[in-house]
Amino acid sequence: MSGTATTSSHPPGRVSTIRGRWQRPALTWTTRALLVVALLGWVLPDPVGDALALAAVVVVAAVPLLRVAWLILRWAQEEDGRFVLTGSALLVVVAVGAVLAALGVGS
Amino acid sequence: METLGYGLLALAAATVGVLGGLGGAILLVPALVATGMSPAEAAPLGLVTVAAASISAAPRQLAERSVNHRIGVTTELVASTGAVAGATVSTLVSDRALTYTLALVAVVAALAGRRSGGLRDRPDPACVPSDVGERVGSLAGAYPLDGGIVPYAPRRLGAGLALMGLSGIVAGVAGVSGGFIKTPATSDVMGVPIRVAASTTTFTVGITAATALVVFAVQGRIDPEPAALVVAGSLTGGTLGARLQALLSPSASRRVLSILLLVVAGLLVAQA
Repeated sequence: MSGTATTSSHPPGRVSTIRGRWQRPALTWTTRALLVVALLGWVLPDPVGDALALAAVVVVAAVPLLRVAWLILRWAQEEDGRFVLTGSALLVVVAVGAVLAALGVGS
Repeated sequence: METLGYGLLALAAATVGVLGGLGGAILLVPALVATGMSPAEAAPLGLVTVAAASISAAPRQLAERSVNHRIGVTTELVASTGAVAGATVSTLVSDRALTYTLALVAVVAALAGRRSGGLRDRPDPACVPSDVGERVGSLAGAYPLDGGIVPYAPRRLGAGLALMGLSGIVAGVAGVSGGFIKTPATSDVMGVPIRVAASTTTFTVGITAATALVVFAVQGRIDPEPAALVVAGSLTGGTLGARLQALLSPSASRRVLSILLLVVAGLLVAQA
């Protein structure tokens, strides 16, 4: 299906000041470090290799959630309460998932 | 399969998956299952691929200013709820049912990859560069395209959120990115320009994957050593695929990926 964008003038509201100026270099270096740590985790003998492999997995899972946490802070600075609540609810969902898994629900 | 094999398979899947615009996990998870790994073991490896690809693509998409974080987090609230539900119940689903689910997902993704839809972008001459960005308090925004500025405002949020929930369940159960559902839902259903929809989806699939990975980690279903090698393979393959993208025609790349997905789906059905 295809169509055309329907808006024809300036979108309403104040433009957000979030430009990703800090996120961009941080994520670039995280990606590079992640690649190195993951490869070292495979190459190096245990227990160092195991620890690095675990660190790579932890970083992969943590970074997307840290991005959400950072957005919540930035939205709070912009006094955008609606999205502060939405982002916080998202992190609560993740926490609830972890608690359910820890309680053995579904296993 | 040896651990190195997982890394090489992740590299190949990420290269072809990125070339075809669907990411690596959609090919990696069915391929791992087709080579004898159980779907329950393959799912966390697929999600590791999804999250790694989301992180590595972020700097470029932030520079393009094509990600709408407010749309992303709003839709992700429902998708992550689906991912938690899917990951939680996935241990209750039999391997045979999961294998059939993966085969179905591969076929649907193959068909989704062949379509060439999405909203055509129309720069608005009334917009100025200072209009670029998200709007505080709403899901609307504007992004730069070919020297012009394209404004947009999502619609049909309810229908879009329902599809996001479905994509989250698929990610939690099968371990693949729900991007092949999310991008069309954001673009065709919610009326967001395809470039913003695709970039925002790349941002959100990382969150869905991270959510499900947290559940899998607590369930003790993640083996760090193969997972780390899959991370390395995915990051390398993703970069390689992005570079090859410039050399090959998008339609040919999509066709190759669709054929591979159909072959993998056939192997899975034969194996189930």
